[in-house]
Amino acid sequence: MIGPEAQALPTAIGTVVIGGGVVGACVAGFLADEGRDVLVVDDGRGAGSASNAGSLHVQMQSRFMRLYPENVPNMELQLPLYPKAVAFWRELASSLNADFDLKMTGGLMVAESQAQLDFLGLKAKRERRLGLDVEMLDRAGLDAIAPYFGPSIVGAELCVNEGKLNPLLCNAAIRKWILARGVVLAERVKVNAIARSGSGFTVATSRGSVIAGRVVLAAGSGTRELAAGLAPAITIPAVAEPLHMNITEATAPLIGHLVQHADRMITLKQFGTGQIVIGGGWPARQDKPGSHPEVELASLIANASLAQHIVPSIGPLRIIRTWAGVNTSVDGMGVLGAVPAIPGLFVAIPGDAGYTLGPLSARLVADVILGRKPGEDLQPFRPERFG
Amino acid sequence: MECGADRNEFFHLDFEGEAVQARAGETVAAALAAHGLRAFRTTRTGAERGLFCGMGVCQDCLVEIDGVPGRRACMISVDRPLTVRRQRHGQPLPATLEQRAPVTIDDLPVERPELLVIGAGPGGLRAAIAARRAGAEVLLLDERRAPGGQYFKPVAVAGDDVPPPDAQHREGLALVAEARAAGVVIRSGVTVWGAFTPLDFAALSAAGGHVRVLPKAVIVATGAYEKGWPVPGWTLPGVMTTGAAQTLWRTARRLPGQRVLIAGNGPLNLQLAAELYKGGADVVAVVEAARLPAFAISGLAAMAAASPALVAQGLAYHWRRLAGRIPMLHDRVVGAVEALASGLRVMIEPASGNGPAQAFECDIVCFGYGFEPSNELLRALGCRHDHDPLQQRLVTKRDGFGRTSVAGVFALGDCTGLGGARVAAADGFVAGLAAAASLGHAIAPALAREGRAAAADGERHRRFQRALWQVYAAPPPSMARVADATLICRCEEVSFGDARAAIAEGHVDIGAIKRATRIGMGTCQGRYCRPLLEALICQASGTAPDEFSGFAPRPPFRPISIRDLAGPDLAGISGQ
Repeated sequence: MIGPEAQALPTAIGTVVIGGGVVGACVAGFLADEGRDVLVVDDGRGAGSASNAGSLHVQMQSRFMRLYPENVPNMELQLPLYPKAVAFWRELASSLNADFDLKMTGGLMVAESQAQLDFLGLKAKRERRLGLDVEMLDRAGLDAIAPYFGPSIVGAELCVNEGKLNPLLCNAAIRKWILARGVVLAERVKVNAIARSGSGFTVATSRGSVIAGRVVLAAGSGTRELAAGLAPAITIPAVAEPLHMNITEATAPLIGHLVQHADRMITLKQFGTGQIVIGGGWPARQDKPGSHPEVELASLIANASLAQHIVPSIGPLRIIRTWAGVNTSVDGMGVLGAVPAIPGLFVAIPGDAGYTLGPLSARLVADVILGRKPGEDLQPFRPERFG
Repeated sequence: MECGADRNEFFHLDFEGEAVQARAGETVAAALAAHGLRAFRTTRTGAERGLFCGMGVCQDCLVEIDGVPGRRACMISVDRPLTVRRQRHGQPLPATLEQRAPVTIDDLPVERPELLVIGAGPGGLRAAIAARRAGAEVLLLDERRAPGGQYFKPVAVAGDDVPPPDAQHREGLALVAEARAAGVVIRSGVTVWGAFTPLDFAALSAAGGHVRVLPKAVIVATGAYEKGWPVPGWTLPGVMTTGAAQTLWRTARRLPGQRVLIAGNGPLNLQLAAELYKGGADVVAVVEAARLPAFAISGLAAMAAASPALVAQGLAYHWRRLAGRIPMLHDRVVGAVEALASGLRVMIEPASGNGPAQAFECDIVCFGYGFEPSNELLRALGCRHDHDPLQQRLVTKRDGFGRTSVAGVFALGDCTGLGGARVAAADGFVAGLAAAASLGHAIAPALAREGRAAAADGERHRRFQRALWQVYAAPPPSMARVADATLICRCEEVSFGDARAAIAEGHVDIGAIKRATRIGMGTCQGRYCRPLLEALICQASGTAPDEFSGFAPRPPFRPISIRDLAGPDLAGISGQ
């Protein structure tokens, strides 16, 4: 027999982290770095569904601003964390001595009309006030740094802090790191109940019960149900956003930047493999919460067609694979830190751009668990804010 | 003539400055092969690749045609002069600023046939005929240039020196004519690349138009593709599947090369040897993994009882082999292939792996080591499958009428777990009637009688198949024998050693190993590495494969260009 699948779960452990995505894995790794014993439980595969896109977002995504205008103040509240989160990815790469295919190319949000340019201009002004390195480019300025856009693009907002990385390389390196630190990784194990017992918890799973001193909820949108099942019940209104993704075959370096659109759902980026990843928020279908999302024809057509509209020369390139990832959305902000009503319980949901914010969010929550003062004020992200 | 050219016409291909004569109707791959050109593309590491599957699956014959990259040489017919270049991995795209307005699914033309049949091989054709005769409106879509599938492989060229169609060709032409006469609408060159629940299909025609097909019921008859044989050198240009070589000869009357070694398991290899010998090739040897048929007398007897005609055909192939003094080696397999300055050296070793190897030199090696069902449409629709541990493949759950576990979805033939052309044809007729009946068409008594006869015929041929594979029983390939340096993933060039290391690191399912190693992430979409990796994982973990232990089926089931997806010439598909 091989692998974590076959291992018996420990009967007692210091910390159980629920969720083996980039956040849960990093929390576990940071705790294990300090000698703590940690069990990570995932009901699927670590980094299997959500940790899989690779954009390093910093500027506010127009998609979220359109979809959830009521969340914009919260997005602005968390915005200063984004460039720090990107910088933290770079630190992680160097501390793990790993190649993440991380490129700080900057990100472009393109506009096709004066109205869209005006919107970006206002957005840039506010982002600059919040410490982001952004500038507005007209078409000539755009052509000077990114000569691949279609004729209808009139300008763009450039955010220098943005970039991209290859999540497959990151996830593999993070997994290697935490296993080397002795983290126990239990995949395809479902948590059925979390009960408080003594000064800790009994976590009942599909492979038996584990007694734990601390529990970290890092299960993305699955955190909602886990938190609601606690006594007292904790409200974490995290929702799953099943999203459609496409990847092409390889071509020569063409699209250097992380590309988005001011008014349409698209992200375009090229990996070091030469493949172009096309995503940006088109929906996938999830028949019931927790089930594996399925790709939809409507999203595939619309997303590919929009990509070619924005960068016409990618037309001959073939899409070789699609998949559905799951993004987690709360209220425009992350949910990070201790739950005062239940000592020993922690939540780690990074926020709208979960992968970008993942390692830094994990670092902050790990610091709270370790009794250190986290490097950021976590007050806005406190888990009890939902009542 | 239905299938391609009807006159003796030639076109000039410019292959990187070299003039190649192509006959109208043949594929670019056939013309290049006949000209002795074997290397069509280079990989990320600079390795050369050429024609391998010959049926649009493996993506190793990619070339640039008239400036458009990513064209499969095995799927493009020559109908005018063409400029062809080898494709380099990751080559730059031609610059264009031709911008198209974005489209949505609502811009796609929609067709609503009563019954959609996918795949125009023997099974799909018979299913369409039966359903049409029972009164259903039938749309039959097929990926290839002409109906007939991988069994009939219709002749696509014409000319005084072109050998006329043989009996198998004529049977196919008659079946196609019967389908047309019955009123089946057949569209060739149309790839169904997406299947979405419930009964929602996306298709692309070779001419470039897209369509969404929303039938009331569907019959899936998508056939099979050939397995790889993972040995050192299995990716070299000149190494191709038995089916690829047979397609060159049967459709284009071209030889894959002069000196050919054919290795594998099963009667198709013998048929190819007979065909290529007749076509003028020097067949160096036929290497069969099974022991001498004398070890399986009872199987031979059962075959003769079930289908004397097929046994006679098999003997005819043997006679031709003997007449050509083509050696036949039993209980032997290919152990390695090496490139020589000119041609290939093939090492043949005992099937057990124990014993000395024997070297042969040739220009072409054909691998015919069995088939994998092309079941991605069925799996995407949610049809349930069992894993057959003996044959090591998925078998679609069906009742005696071809009904799958999903309402409105019927399936038959090799895509449901193999069985050959005769079984597919028989099951096709039964499923066609059942599908028509499910759509409310009354089946007249005479037609119902034909259906029962077809069902009996299917049973007879199933008996034949069971006996045949008793005769051809060969030990399953041992993964343990494959050296670490051998590639498991042709596309991403990942080795067995990398796969084993990922398993040893504790990765326990195929998706996790894919993400960790890139195995299965390439343009063939995991079709060749998947069975190998699944076997490695299952051997290491002591688990049995099941319908979920392979890669998840996700559209597009063939790589589709962004331009094709994006329109604007979304004019729908027209018949070819």
